[in-house]
Amino acid sequence: MRSRWTEPGGRGPAARLQLLARPRQPEPLPVEFDRRRIYVLPTWFGLFFLLLLLTMGVGALNYNNNPALLLALVLAGTALASLVSAHLQLSGLVVHAVNAEPVAAGRPLMLRVHVRADPRRPRRGLRVESGDSAAVLSLDRGAGDATVEVPTTVRGWRHPGRLRISTTRPLGLARAWSWVWPEKPQLVYPAPEAHGPPLPLGAGDNVQARLHPAGDDVHHLRPWRRGDSRRAIAWKPSARRDSLLVREYEEPQGADVVLDWDELSALPREARIQRLARWVDEAERDQRRYRLVLPGQAPIGPGAGPAHRHACLRALALLPGAVEA
Amino acid sequence: MARRRKRSPLLDGSGKRWTLAAAGACLLPLLLQLPGHVALGVGGLGLMGAVVSLRVDLPAWPRPLLALALFGLVLANYGFHFGRDTGCALLAAMLAIKPMELRDLRDARSLLGFALFAPFATFLLDQGPLSLVLGLAGVVLALMAMLRVSELESMDRGPAPPDRPEAEARGAWRRLRIAGRLVAVGLPLALAAFWFFPRMASPMWGVPDRAVARPGLSDTMSPGEWIDLMSDDSPAARVKFDGPVPGPHQMYWRGPVMLDFDGRTWKRSEWLAGLPPAQVVPGGQSFSYEIEIEPTDRRHVVALDLPLAAPADVRMSRDFSMTAPRPLSQLRRFNLRSAPPQAFEPELPDMLRRLALRLPEGFNPRTRELGLQWRAEAGIGPAADEAIVRRALQWVTDEFAYTMATPLPGRHAVDEFLFDQKAGFCEHYSSAFAVLLRATGIPARVVTGYAGGYRNRFGDYWIIRQMDAHAWVEAWLDGRGWVRVDPTAAVAPERIFDTLEDLPQAGFDVFGNMAAARDLGDWLRRGWNTAFLGFDAARQRQLLAPLGVRDLGVAQLVILFSALGGLALAWMLWLVARGERERDPVLRAWRRVGRRYARLGLGPEPHEPATAWAGRVVAADPAAAKDLATLSARFTDWRYAGRKADPDAALALARDLDAHRPGRRTALEDPT
Repeated sequence: MRSRWTEPGGRGPAARLQLLARPRQPEPLPVEFDRRRIYVLPTWFGLFFLLLLLTMGVGALNYNNNPALLLALVLAGTALASLVSAHLQLSGLVVHAVNAEPVAAGRPLMLRVHVRADPRRPRRGLRVESGDSAAVLSLDRGAGDATVEVPTTVRGWRHPGRLRISTTRPLGLARAWSWVWPEKPQLVYPAPEAHGPPLPLGAGDNVQARLHPAGDDVHHLRPWRRGDSRRAIAWKPSARRDSLLVREYEEPQGADVVLDWDELSALPREARIQRLARWVDEAERDQRRYRLVLPGQAPIGPGAGPAHRHACLRALALLPGAVEA
Repeated sequence: MARRRKRSPLLDGSGKRWTLAAAGACLLPLLLQLPGHVALGVGGLGLMGAVVSLRVDLPAWPRPLLALALFGLVLANYGFHFGRDTGCALLAAMLAIKPMELRDLRDARSLLGFALFAPFATFLLDQGPLSLVLGLAGVVLALMAMLRVSELESMDRGPAPPDRPEAEARGAWRRLRIAGRLVAVGLPLALAAFWFFPRMASPMWGVPDRAVARPGLSDTMSPGEWIDLMSDDSPAARVKFDGPVPGPHQMYWRGPVMLDFDGRTWKRSEWLAGLPPAQVVPGGQSFSYEIEIEPTDRRHVVALDLPLAAPADVRMSRDFSMTAPRPLSQLRRFNLRSAPPQAFEPELPDMLRRLALRLPEGFNPRTRELGLQWRAEAGIGPAADEAIVRRALQWVTDEFAYTMATPLPGRHAVDEFLFDQKAGFCEHYSSAFAVLLRATGIPARVVTGYAGGYRNRFGDYWIIRQMDAHAWVEAWLDGRGWVRVDPTAAVAPERIFDTLEDLPQAGFDVFGNMAAARDLGDWLRRGWNTAFLGFDAARQRQLLAPLGVRDLGVAQLVILFSALGGLALAWMLWLVARGERERDPVLRAWRRVGRRYARLGLGPEPHEPATAWAGRVVAADPAAAKDLATLSARFTDWRYAGRKADPDAALALARDLDAHRPGRRTALEDPT
């Protein structure tokens, strides 16, 4: 969903005003908020309060009623001071990192905003907004972070756009805010196919096919650890070594899976990417070793584990031609 | 609307408690100014609504009905007269109903906003110390509640679990500190506006009067009505004499003068009030003084008998009573001169003489008979008139008594007083005496005002209290004009001239101390009045008189206000700048160096370590950055090698950094 303030390309007066707000282009982190980029405007409650003060002030001046006049003036001064205070809640704040774990397209990106500031000034209850998603940011001992959701639709690099950090504290009369527009995009994996064929297993002529020893074979012995089953203890070797040893069996493993782009030539391009993404996840779930072959790139793998999965999905995500579905 | 309502977060228990406590604290001083039963009704309803809304969410439909009913009751209580007090009572009623709708943040904020109007309304009715203190407490609580509501809005759970009582107490202290700081930051601007924002010399619209008047001097007087007034020990005026002070028997403060008598009530003559002051031959002795009149709802200005001239825009009528063009709803101060007259209106026109002799038909036959009898016995002529007055005074001195416990008068009130009861207070005495004198053919009138005064030892000024209200008689004697005759003083001089000041001498030591405390309290209050409550357009013009600038114009005031307000604003901005500034001088100096290089396009990137940046700069422009490598090494040492480096070295580093310019060699590092 587009939001009126995080996407600078919109139309209308609000969007045009947005173009004037600093920062006007993406910027490298860290970013420190200073008075050039902090904006303060009254809230609706602030306007109501202003009306109230004007009524009081005119009435008190008319009746030359000094206590009433001083009341109105002190309240006005306090309201102004609260603007200063709101401004200082933001100024000096340093946004030093914005990051997110990659997610599949269509799932929200959990964007973590890391912030630090001089610990001597308490800053609590700041609001971080991205589009319609908002989170509370409270600094504890000068550092804090907040997580906002950024919706994703397509694979590839997702620019989080402008994030708004704002506060209405202390009195709720005015909102002070500042924008941060991180330059670094976040990776969005391709969405895996919802229903698809199983992993291409029985392709016997796979080059890398390799049988593992049968599962019942003892692979090696290792020292006992808490939680090991008593049945797994190798009593005889233990007696010899004077410490408990445990047998470890090797799981039977299938052949390496080869996920080949060219094998899926029947499918359209995006569907191919989605199927490969699904297969990567399935292979990872089944703890298979797998290899991804993409056109114009060196094959990735064989391998398994989070790093390998990330490499494969990243390659898939960054294949050219990503368009919004 | 619905969408916003849905979005506004709900209040939690503590938020509700804070909001309700603040609204209650704001409402309290206002309730104290309302008549007892209205205050009880409105306050009770508000309390009930608050308690209920803490427990359950009330349905919305009964609220408008309740509001209408309550407004109706309040209006009916004031007899559907719309005055200042009616408006304030309606505001109180609205505030009492509002807590029943207290669900989300918006409700809380609108309640707090309206609650802040309550102290304002209170100050329109009363400006005494109690109202000020309670109003201030209400405002502070309201600010704290606003802080609490904002914390709720920001959804910050706080550093400690909020449901523990000590956490709540700590939160209260913290909020009090924050509110105090906000007020303190805003105070210079507020005070600059208070003293220098041009005041209006006359209001754009009139101050609505009260629908129910407070007791005080008025245009009428009927015996027995001053019971409330004479037990009210609140100050009516304060007087500071400049020069000689009149003796206690001269301290008659002249207020409205009553000429018309309808058998029961004495009334001020309207058309006489429009005539210019009568001719007076002043006596040799005169007193100049400053009188400060406490706010009332009336226009009467009292002055020492007999004022020589009226102050600006106060009118003096033929009988030397003074009225201001508007009710004295604010503290007012007048500088006056008075002198006991040698002859006061020695030529009495026939028209006035007839008025001053007129008695209504069918009232007080025994008194009239006595008057005729006395006249027959005394004969005709100035000497006879004086003899009659003396005889009358002798009569009351011998046979009459002073009491505040008087029965309700019947039709022939003067007859009953003179012949049956023979006891009463100043209203009875003056009324009966004037009637008696008129019956003998001596023109007479009743003068109301205050008698006596009490000297405050701290401030050397005199306090006139409401309980000093007094009524006396003026009789017109040939050759002397109007002469003050005070029958009450003849009967009970201690009631008129003796005041609290005499009580310590009676041997009550404790009472003496209390009187001293009272003196001190009133002295402080007078100081507050002088500096604050009495400040108005006239005083504002003289604000710089001590500096030799007399009579500031509006333009000068605007300039002064802009200058001082600008200073106050600049102070706020300085606070912002100070809050933004890096506190460490070395880091500050290091950033300045970075900015100098940024002008050459060689500024440090945010993520770049100091030495890496220096290396880059030296590589790009070796001539420009001769010492940068050394400085950056020293900076890195200071920053990372030892946090506990000695402060002198840090200062020296900051100095060297400040001295460093791109392309220029510092004298320190370059011996040539």
